[in-house]
Amino acid sequence: MPDHKDILPPKLIKDRGSFHPINHMKDSIMELLTSFGFEIVDGPEIETEKFNFDMLNIKKSHPARQMHDTFYIENKSNLLRTHTSPVQIRGMLEKKPPLAFISGGKVYRKDDDATHLPMFHQVEGIYVDKNVNFAQLKDLIYKIIYSLFGEEIELRFRPSYFPFTEPSAEVDILSKEGKWLEILGCGLVNPVVLKNCNINSDKYSGLAFGLGIERIAMLKHGVTDIREFYKSNLDFLSQFK
Amino acid sequence: MKIAYSHLVQHIEENPSIKQISDSLFQLGHEHEIDGGIFDMEFTPNRGDCLSINGLLRDLAVFYTVDLNREVFTEKLSELLIDFQNLSESICPQISFLKLEIDEVPKIYKDSLGDYFEDLSLNKNNFFTDISNYLSYETGQPTHCYDANTIKGKLVFHEIDKNEEFETLLDKKISLTGKNSVFSLNHNVINLAGVVGGKSTSCSSNTKTAIVECAFFQPEAIIGKSVKYDIQSEASHKFERGVDPECHDKVLRRFIKLVSDHANIKDMSIISYKFKDNPSHQIPVNVKKINKIIGINISEKEYLNYLLKLGFVVEAGIIKVPSFRSDIKTQNDLAEEIARVIGYDNISTSKISIPNNEMTNHKAIENKLRFFLLDNGFYEVINPPFVNLSAEEAIKVDNPLDSNREYLRTNITNSLVDNLLFNERRQKDSIKLFEISDVYSSSNGINKKRKLSIIASGRLGENHTDFSKKINKKYLLTLFQEVLPNEVFDFKLISRDLLDTKIKNEIVSLEVDINSFSSDILSYKEVSQPPEGFAQYSPISDFPSSFKDISFSIKDYSKSEELQDLLLNYKSDIIKNIYIFDYFKNEKKKEIKIGFRFTFQSKKATLNSAEIELVYNEIVNKSLNISGISIPGL
Repeated sequence: MPDHKDILPPKLIKDRGSFHPINHMKDSIMELLTSFGFEIVDGPEIETEKFNFDMLNIKKSHPARQMHDTFYIENKSNLLRTHTSPVQIRGMLEKKPPLAFISGGKVYRKDDDATHLPMFHQVEGIYVDKNVNFAQLKDLIYKIIYSLFGEEIELRFRPSYFPFTEPSAEVDILSKEGKWLEILGCGLVNPVVLKNCNINSDKYSGLAFGLGIERIAMLKHGVTDIREFYKSNLDFLSQFK
Repeated sequence: MKIAYSHLVQHIEENPSIKQISDSLFQLGHEHEIDGGIFDMEFTPNRGDCLSINGLLRDLAVFYTVDLNREVFTEKLSELLIDFQNLSESICPQISFLKLEIDEVPKIYKDSLGDYFEDLSLNKNNFFTDISNYLSYETGQPTHCYDANTIKGKLVFHEIDKNEEFETLLDKKISLTGKNSVFSLNHNVINLAGVVGGKSTSCSSNTKTAIVECAFFQPEAIIGKSVKYDIQSEASHKFERGVDPECHDKVLRRFIKLVSDHANIKDMSIISYKFKDNPSHQIPVNVKKINKIIGINISEKEYLNYLLKLGFVVEAGIIKVPSFRSDIKTQNDLAEEIARVIGYDNISTSKISIPNNEMTNHKAIENKLRFFLLDNGFYEVINPPFVNLSAEEAIKVDNPLDSNREYLRTNITNSLVDNLLFNERRQKDSIKLFEISDVYSSSNGINKKRKLSIIASGRLGENHTDFSKKINKKYLLTLFQEVLPNEVFDFKLISRDLLDTKIKNEIVSLEVDINSFSSDILSYKEVSQPPEGFAQYSPISDFPSSFKDISFSIKDYSKSEELQDLLLNYKSDIIKNIYIFDYFKNEKKKEIKIGFRFTFQSKKATLNSAEIELVYNEIVNKSLNISGISIPGL
């Protein structure tokens, strides 16, 4: 029988909290991308039409600019950014190529249903240099997807359309259930956008990509309802320690 | 858009299977699902030219031998006399009218017209409108049919900017507001151009004489109208994405042919107006540039061969873009065409190496604060910024989702109070939350502040030393000042008077500008590591939980650990949480008192007391099997 004095009180279990799974996912992706050589830039969530649309070659008539898709504020003088792309524009105006930026954060669209929220998160990257081409873009995307989902994952590139990239692609991964799931959008920076940012598009070309954080976090954590992320429910949050 | 496989394949010589066409469509960038023999297509907005059988066939022509020739009426047509005036030529640079009179309205549709309605299970309307709808499906060009007997007087196309009432052919009354492109007959609006026709001039099942309008409208004039007036319109979907301005004669001659296949035409005449030429877009042949953009090495011959198959014309080193491809303007656009044809997945990767940039971590302070809070049991939350209350300098959303989300929050604390109450209602009694976010306000322009807000209430923690202590200002202040002794923190108590709650615990909050922190925090050594993997989420139960406490007396000290091992690792479907809430070693009495709290909750139903009792008794029995342990009062 041990001496009574040897008996220690129970181990003090201090409850540690958790980072929000979306922020954790965002930070993990940003960390991965900085390891590839990208530099983090930040920008405001309240933007102008010029940076959110015009500079990105999104025409006045583009459906995304309609009041039913974009939140406008203060009598249409500004808007809530609909993507993180304006940050890239601000970055390109500030620095000269070669440049490689990423930015991540909240974006807003006028949606609210089981699969779309008025606020969600994106991470975007851009790389502008001499001789950047589509084959290199593919290499980068493979690296990103393999890092996120493992090298066994099957993926496919599909032609798509974004006003700010040309050619444009969407990338799908094959789920365990055998369904193709769209995971990111990418492309070569449209020379019009480079010109808008005073970059000589005959000399330089660029690649760009953007990922929706919620979609990836849902896949990685097995969350099926996007709305769970924003209920601030401790039973939910405590699962991501 | 729904397109039947059979309608495509009958024009393809190789007779590919539905799977083969599906694969080709994916490679070309045309996403779709297959339902039976029908492709449910989802085209990207730049490819308005694909919104038809012929459009898709033009794209598939890079892989197959397709036949795009359809029988048309080829004879000379007499000129239609119509009192028409175009006051907005820039919006409608090209328009044609065809007048047709038939002797009898046909009852039965045959050939491709019949297949269209049958294969896609579509409802018929009236003869002329049915032909118009089919033709839009076949060619991609919408047409509108008026009953010719209703078009008496002056027909004007113009852009109006005044409020007008208008009844659509679908019996829907709409009030036009703002700028709208319309056709008016004797000053009354009879057609919302490119979107929907009016009831007063529409064809009926008795119509034997029709005027068919075939036009090009600038997409900018049409965009948003169908959403604005809540009208489902196949025509506006096409006009918004751009139609082929050069197809009118062919489309109307095809119209005549389809009518003549079903009825005797007694009379017909046509008039076409072209107010502006559509010069074809021209791009120099530069295969080097194409290879450079994609990162491949194809020959000029191969390059031009792909373009020819897609309908481009090459003459003297110049590529002429076909009139239906308004999306092609630059070398990069052509590069995408070639990449699609080769197949994105067939393009080999080429190693990328990004020159390393100098890294500065602008968020170092913020991240250290997050770790400090994490170590002390705080959970990070993210709240949307939309609130219903206007605060001083709050920014108003012009087009909110609803009146509860009309303003942008000027503080984070109010969101955290809502989060706290939400968790209290879910029987949580120790709540510590924080959020870091940009907060915007408006005074002399838009101001942005990056703020940290924290809120805490209830028990200090779920362990034997913290259980009976409550979170208060002093506790939080001590916590922060231990780490940041040189900084001042203004913790506030939030009154529960106006909150919908009966709980009395103090609510302590803090909201500070991230910039107000000095770099002292950077020397904080975090205990926690961020999670390495990605935890698999287990769905939350929304059924109520309840708890039971069991207190033990241990005379044989050596059994204390055995009991803890047994209970803290106790597994049951309905036990959600177990922790030690009380521990006391009484040296005089030579006794350890230890209390365990069990939280019960089921994922399937509200638990009744018998179900809880069953597990509870099992726990008690297993515990009492350990010698020297008793439960006082049992």
